Amino acid sequence: MSRQLKFNIFRYNPQDPASVPHADTFLLEETPSLTLFIALNKLREEQDPSLMFDFACRMAICGSCGMVINGRPGLACRTLTSDLPAEITLMPLPVFKLVGDLSVDTGTWFRATNSKIESWIHTDQEFDPQATEERMENALAESIFELERCIECGCCVASCGTANMREDFVGAFALNRMARFIMDPRDKRKDADYFEVVGTDQGIFGCMGLLACEDVCPRSIPLQDQLGLLRRKMGFIALKSIFKRKG
Amino acid sequence: MASIDTAIYVKPPSRASAYLDWLQMLTGAGLIAFMWSHMVLVASVNLGVNVMNFIAHFFEATYMAQVGGPMIGATMLLHFVLAARKIPFTSSEQGSIWRHAKMLHHQDTWMWVVQAVTAMIILIMGSIHMWTVLTDLPITAQKSALRIQGGFWMVFYLILLPMVELHVGIGFYRIGVKWGFVKRDGRKKFKRSENILTAIMIFIGLVTIIRFATLAV
Repeated sequence: MSRQLKFNIFRYNPQDPASVPHADTFLLEETPSLTLFIALNKLREEQDPSLMFDFACRMAICGSCGMVINGRPGLACRTLTSDLPAEITLMPLPVFKLVGDLSVDTGTWFRATNSKIESWIHTDQEFDPQATEERMENALAESIFELERCIECGCCVASCGTANMREDFVGAFALNRMARFIMDPRDKRKDADYFEVVGTDQGIFGCMGLLACEDVCPRSIPLQDQLGLLRRKMGFIALKSIFKRKG
Repeated sequence: MASIDTAIYVKPPSRASAYLDWLQMLTGAGLIAFMWSHMVLVASVNLGVNVMNFIAHFFEATYMAQVGGPMIGATMLLHFVLAARKIPFTSSEQGSIWRHAKMLHHQDTWMWVVQAVTAMIILIMGSIHMWTVLTDLPITAQKSALRIQGGFWMVFYLILLPMVELHVGIGFYRIGVKWGFVKRDGRKKFKRSENILTAIMIFIGLVTIIRFATLAV
């Protein structure tokens, strides 16, 4: 017996002056291996062509289908309805600018945050396209890649208590990104440079340790461990500077 | 030459956030250690009136209560000021975090809300408690029992006890995960142990309150 699924979906179009934020209810017969991504497409095709939501890759790589699923931010494409109760509430990710219904603009936020933390390798080395690539220890490359797996879906930011309260907080995304550059020997930034970017209340010291980011990350990036390491690293950089000044 | 404060216009790099976060953690850790020791010491009345009186006398004869008491009070105030940097005080921030917590169904987020709310209650009730006890030295089991048997203070401590233990227990857990002492693998177990410890502390506290309430004076 297949279940009858009941969807409560947030609806609002900020472009339309007549639109009022509300919830619409849709019914859908559950099929085997049904994901929220497929379900939403069915709803749009069969019941309401005006329903707005984002998707591109349908395989948890592009990070565009992040939404709040029964209260928890997650990716629609990798959420099976069989893992959810028959009543499913979908809301757009908070913090980001609402485009309409379930669609939010994560791009502008991520671009601004990436520029804020200067999210690129800082080096004065001239690029030589003819040279062979510099070698890196495999273990190091793997640990950098572990953090590099972030797909910028925005779930960590949407689930963050601090980010929800304070607009200028860079969120677990940026702190993880910074941890990745700190690990990378090609990035020539010094401790003080990293500290200037994330050793603030907008950075790691704004984090209150609620760990929702850790719990919702669809890529299971070790955010708890990285945030802990970063807090200690930045904390010790500050402590060391006390003794340096005296000496 | 008159100096100009250029920082008004161009903020120089500052390490203040780091120092304040260290202080918040260290004062918190100190207060956790104090609160748990405090509970054990007060609970000594369960072993016998003389045991508690002896311990109380020891702390007063060595002036640890007279000097340490106000220092603990000052530490509590300092910890409040430091932690208040993170607590939402504007109604719009409060609205945001409340709606967020209700939406998320996330235990650690609710635990933080509990910490923020209990903080305000402890700030007031803890201060009243310290004032009352420290302005009426020496501490004896008989005096404490009389206070509890008056009724008002019984209700007072029945409220303050769980507030303190929840705040302290959650704080202990949060220091562990926030500063990376507890890693991803150990978090679940650590949280469970912390919850059990909090429950034990509340239980010891309740037993102690009952002991005071039933003590013949």
